[in-house]
Amino acid sequence: MTARVPAADRTRSGRDLEPDLVSCDEAGRTFLRGTVRVAAVLPTTCSVTPGTRVALTGPSGSGKSTLLHLLAGLEVPTSGTVSWPGLGGPPQGRPGVVGLVFQGPSLIPALDVVENVTLPLLLAGVEQRHAVERACAALNRLELGGLARKLPEEISGGQAQRVAVARVLASAPRLILADEPTGQLDHATGERVLSILLETADELGAALVVTTHDELVAQRLALRWRMTDGVLRTEGDS
Amino acid sequence: MIRIWVAGLVRRRAGRLGVAAAGVAVAVALLASLGAFLASSQASMTARAVRDVTVDWQVQVQPGADPAAVLDAVRAAAGTAQAVPVGFGQAGGLTATTGTTTQTTGAAVVLGLPDTYRSTFPGELRTLAGTDRGVLVAQQTAANLGVAPGDMITVNLRGGTATSLRVDGVVDLPAANSLFQTVGAPPGSQPNAPPDNVVLLPQARWQDLFAPLPPATAATDGVHTQIHAARSHALPADPASAFVAETGQARNLEAQSAGGAVVGDNLGAALDAARSDAAYAQVLFVFLGLPGAVLAGLLTVAVAAAGADRRRREQALARTRGVTTTQVLRLAAVEAGLVGLLGAAVGLAVAAVVGWAAFGAVRFGSTPVSALGWTAGAALVGLIVAAAAIGVPAYRDVRSATVAASRRTALDARSRDRAPWWARYGVDVLLLAGGGLIVWSTTGTGYQLVLAPEGVPTISVSYWAFAGPALLWIGAGLLTRRLVELTLRRRRLVGLAVGPVAGRLASTAAAMMARGRRPLARSVVLLGLALAFAVSTATFNATYQAQAEADAQLTNGADVTVTESPGVRVGPEAAPPLAAVPGVRAVEPLQHRFAYIGADLQDLYGVRPETITGVTALQDSYFQGGSARSLMATLASAPDSILVSAETVKDYQLLPGDVVNLRLPDSATKQLVTVPFHYAGIVTEFPTAPKDSFFVANASYVAARTGSNAVGAFLVDTGGGDVTAIAARIRTRLGASAAVTDIAHTRSRVGSSLTAVDLAGLTAVELGFALVLAAAAGGLVLFLGLAERRRTFAITTALGATRRQLRGLVTAEAAVLTVGGLVAGAAVGWLLAQVLVAVLTGVFDPPPAAATVPWAYLGITAAVTLGGLGVATVGALRPGRRPPVAVLREP
Repeated sequence: MTARVPAADRTRSGRDLEPDLVSCDEAGRTFLRGTVRVAAVLPTTCSVTPGTRVALTGPSGSGKSTLLHLLAGLEVPTSGTVSWPGLGGPPQGRPGVVGLVFQGPSLIPALDVVENVTLPLLLAGVEQRHAVERACAALNRLELGGLARKLPEEISGGQAQRVAVARVLASAPRLILADEPTGQLDHATGERVLSILLETADELGAALVVTTHDELVAQRLALRWRMTDGVLRTEGDS
Repeated sequence: MIRIWVAGLVRRRAGRLGVAAAGVAVAVALLASLGAFLASSQASMTARAVRDVTVDWQVQVQPGADPAAVLDAVRAAAGTAQAVPVGFGQAGGLTATTGTTTQTTGAAVVLGLPDTYRSTFPGELRTLAGTDRGVLVAQQTAANLGVAPGDMITVNLRGGTATSLRVDGVVDLPAANSLFQTVGAPPGSQPNAPPDNVVLLPQARWQDLFAPLPPATAATDGVHTQIHAARSHALPADPASAFVAETGQARNLEAQSAGGAVVGDNLGAALDAARSDAAYAQVLFVFLGLPGAVLAGLLTVAVAAAGADRRRREQALARTRGVTTTQVLRLAAVEAGLVGLLGAAVGLAVAAVVGWAAFGAVRFGSTPVSALGWTAGAALVGLIVAAAAIGVPAYRDVRSATVAASRRTALDARSRDRAPWWARYGVDVLLLAGGGLIVWSTTGTGYQLVLAPEGVPTISVSYWAFAGPALLWIGAGLLTRRLVELTLRRRRLVGLAVGPVAGRLASTAAAMMARGRRPLARSVVLLGLALAFAVSTATFNATYQAQAEADAQLTNGADVTVTESPGVRVGPEAAPPLAAVPGVRAVEPLQHRFAYIGADLQDLYGVRPETITGVTALQDSYFQGGSARSLMATLASAPDSILVSAETVKDYQLLPGDVVNLRLPDSATKQLVTVPFHYAGIVTEFPTAPKDSFFVANASYVAARTGSNAVGAFLVDTGGGDVTAIAARIRTRLGASAAVTDIAHTRSRVGSSLTAVDLAGLTAVELGFALVLAAAAGGLVLFLGLAERRRTFAITTALGATRRQLRGLVTAEAAVLTVGGLVAGAAVGWLLAQVLVAVLTGVFDPPPAAATVPWAYLGITAAVTLGGLGVATVGALRPGRRPPVAVLREP
């Protein structure tokens, strides 16, 4: 079964000419569970254009995280291809090209908050002093300056997610992929984190793809893609 | 539930169980192997002690008793294989006329031997010249009288009777000390040296000389009969048990003879000495074996600790599902028991293989009871290690690990950065100071680690001496941890140091290591202690082997030694033909004379000081008052210099430069002439020289003053060639004109306490385990530590890190561990090696001047450790089967 989804959000003028940030062409992903081959994402064609906002919804186990990882280059498709024409090639090994926010804790326990935010900048080759300046600016932007020297174990889950967003903000990527960023947070904190994500994407002019099974979260994003049993369908523009 | 949990562990956590069981197995295998070493060494000590006894019993027939009855009683005693009577008589002196001169000696002992004596006791007599039977004179007697086979000697009995005898042969009496012992006298009252003059006669001729003497004269002249007995050597393997059994039989005979016989129990005396060797074997076990077993235990705990977080999460999950605290503890106990039993089984199997390969026997004790004890003890240690590694942390977690408690701890920055209690109170420094003090006090004057007074059934071992190295070991480990943690806190310094491997991520790597400094410091300590174990054990063993070799060389003289027969005059001109024998690198003539100082007769060795060190090793520890090199230089520059024994210096109150007048036989007149020397230094050991007093002088000076350059022995250096084959070639070349001995044969016969404790197998076992521990401590701990942080690496990868950047982060940590471990291992190992050599000085004969460093082994150890670390680093960097996002999804 093949799912074909049109390029997301080509409505904004001037961006129609820009190449897709990421494009899946019949990209599918199967996993081996013992001797059984399980299809997480059936061959899918879709693309994300600059500046778009996509909510990727679906029940647990439907394959939305796997599709997100395919878009991030963290998973290799077992069929079809994934390309990143608007990003100049695969993002793997190119820190700061794609900003990732994970569902669970994604801060390095042995680094304090500012060091965690600095890390992708250092990986991208930014000089230490400049990297720290940018990290501090991002933290201040998200009102997290007071936590700069705290360790991840010393801050709450919501604060940790905001730090993860600050890490994305500091790297200034053109594509932000967030895997259920509010999944482990209470409603109010989740709202706040999502708002920050949207503001960050706006500020950077970056495309944003968020996986979620929270309807309220999905409603705040322009486009909605739905995954069901590995099949991707669009649910129309909002 | 337990069955489900165990099945889950086996299916899902087989690696964790396997690694922990392997750690337990190493500890158990090491302990059980050491049990095998003790069993083997004790058995070999007994065998060696028994082998070196030439006459097992010398039963002296007391005045008034019937020799025939005593002979029957000895033969009837349980365990007696053969018994023969030997007559002892005294002569006032001996006289011999050679050429135009007549030589006369002082008192002599005349023995009467039955025809079967030589075959019954083959080690008692060694023919040097002439025939095996008839009238025989001892080597020194022949030298004193200047006689050879065929010459006539006169035996002057005290009553004025004189008998002339023709010498049939010249013999050496290798066991003269025990042969001429005062039977029944306490150890301290034995003669200092055997008699200078000895004549051995067939029993019939001895009877002709001494039987006619009136009983009163006979008693005055010390005429008596001894029954010499060869006993069964089927004794218990343990020297102490063998000693008790053997001396019991001797006392039984004395009791049965009702005062008619006193037993000179040479076999019991040899076993008595072997008991102290057995005690040394136990001491070596404690010093060399226990640290390895403790280390293996620590390694297991560290391995288990590497997976502690995951185990904690699993237990927390179980508790949230309603599992009670007791059930959690029971599950942990089951896991510990599983690991302990598996480890113990594997460890015992490995020990059996090791024992078979290293000691030739699969037994862990010298008796069935001790074997059972060792087996059970080693297995118990395995269970204790498993309990400490798995059970104790689980108990601690259950008692204290609540979410609130963990958050309180985490949020308390002061608690996080607070130094451990031992560091706050300076326990490490106190332990080092205490250990140093104990070592200093126990290795001072009069120190004896093992005290085994002759004849006393109990042996005392100074167990207090163990405390010194133990405290130093623990203190050095803690100090290493303190220093590593202090260093890792200096992030700028560490960042600079790891800059070459971590590049722009140097500060990140330094920050990661600073926060994770405690586990990293523990890993450095573990690696350092493992390397220190390897360094100290290998250095001790190398020093031991070097001194064993030195002992063999001291006994034999050189690789091959050619000893000229008495009465045969060979000068230094015989050296070049020997040097022409294939395989011979150099030949050095060595004079051997007997010289009187006052009334004492001592051996004198004339050397060529410029060249003697070319064929035999002279260690500085053989001399006092200068190094070997400086004292040889003194003998060369001042030919009338002489080196004397410390005892002689004390007896004659000599000061450097004093004139020492010796009386030496003149070659032309055969009379003693006075030769003046100047005292230049003290010699305690010298190749071929006896253990007691002797002189070393310049051969040219001795030759010039005595008119003879006759050589006593030629020392042959083979340059590391096949000494046995070269000795055989020399034997073929010389025929029966000289005795040729080689160091390989001597090495196997040296009977000192040093070689009685057979370290060869222990060395192989120790060094093998040390290598395993070093590789495991480095590689396994690093790998498991990195594996536990795969989440960190997954995040870093997801953030876009290149493989090179990841490699930089991992390599930086591996580099810190490697450098820290190597530096700590070298420093602590060197310290412990010095302490071991000092504390265990009693096992060295001769004592070493300095420790011998086994560079080749240390190089291999370093290479294996680096290899282990390298494999761990590569393994940690290997692209996982699961993508980083899958790792991040783990709970």
